Amino acid sequence: MNALSIGQTRAGGVCIVTLSGRIDSTSASDVMAELTRLLSSGEKSILVDLGAVLYLTSAAFRALLVATNEAERKAAKLALCNLAGHVRELFEMGGLLDVFAIHNSREEALKHLAEPRTP
Amino acid sequence: MAHVVDVRIRNDISDIGIVRDTLDKLAREFRIPVHALTQLQVALDEVVSNVIKYSWDDGGQHEFLVRITVRPDRVDLEIFDDGREFDPVTALLPNHPAEGRQTRPGGLGIHFIKKLVDRFTYERIEGRNHTTLSKRCEVGAGVQRSEK
Repeated sequence: MNALSIGQTRAGGVCIVTLSGRIDSTSASDVMAELTRLLSSGEKSILVDLGAVLYLTSAAFRALLVATNEAERKAAKLALCNLAGHVRELFEMGGLLDVFAIHNSREEALKHLAEPRTP
Repeated sequence: MAHVVDVRIRNDISDIGIVRDTLDKLAREFRIPVHALTQLQVALDEVVSNVIKYSWDDGGQHEFLVRITVRPDRVDLEIFDDGREFDPVTALLPNHPAEGRQTRPGGLGIHFIKKLVDRFTYERIEGRNHTTLSKRCEVGAGVQRSEK
């Protein structure tokens, strides 16, 4: 019920990963596995759309942090977009809004990801 | 007047789904507001996953009890486990989770619990950990009629 689902689309050179449902202790490892798989396969720009996520727990934040660090190591970009409602509230509560590259919309994120990576 | 449901699960992460679905079912039955339910689900995931990950280190299978109590003005989540003594309420937390990349396991989760519920207590009773989380909310209907 409201299980996590992971979708994938492309917009130019950006791989958009759409997450929906709950991301908790039982499913955070699936998110981590998918993002690290994409980075290992050579993706240089990944956008994670959280617009359809019901909520995240600390396990999910850890997965996103690990993927963000992995992206940095591989000179890739990883950004998040569409944080709304409960999801944004949890980012705020955890003091995590400054830890990730966060954009209000897909359009804004895609524009940013199209720019050359700053060191 | 309260509606009490006891769920016994194994120290296996996949079993969290059993208590999560039980809480969802109770929320539908008693019309627990969505915002409170979401906060309870996050807190439940944090506290139960902590027990599963840290209460036992012998690699064996263990069972523990999760009790969900729906009252007219709040929902209580209680966890009873016979693992090693650990008080999550007084556990050392990172000063700022965002900067706490080297924090102890469970630090961010415990931080969330403290923010999400109104009461978070711990007792060690007769060799068992008893952790209680309470969330105040207006429960929609049916608690008194459904008492068992």
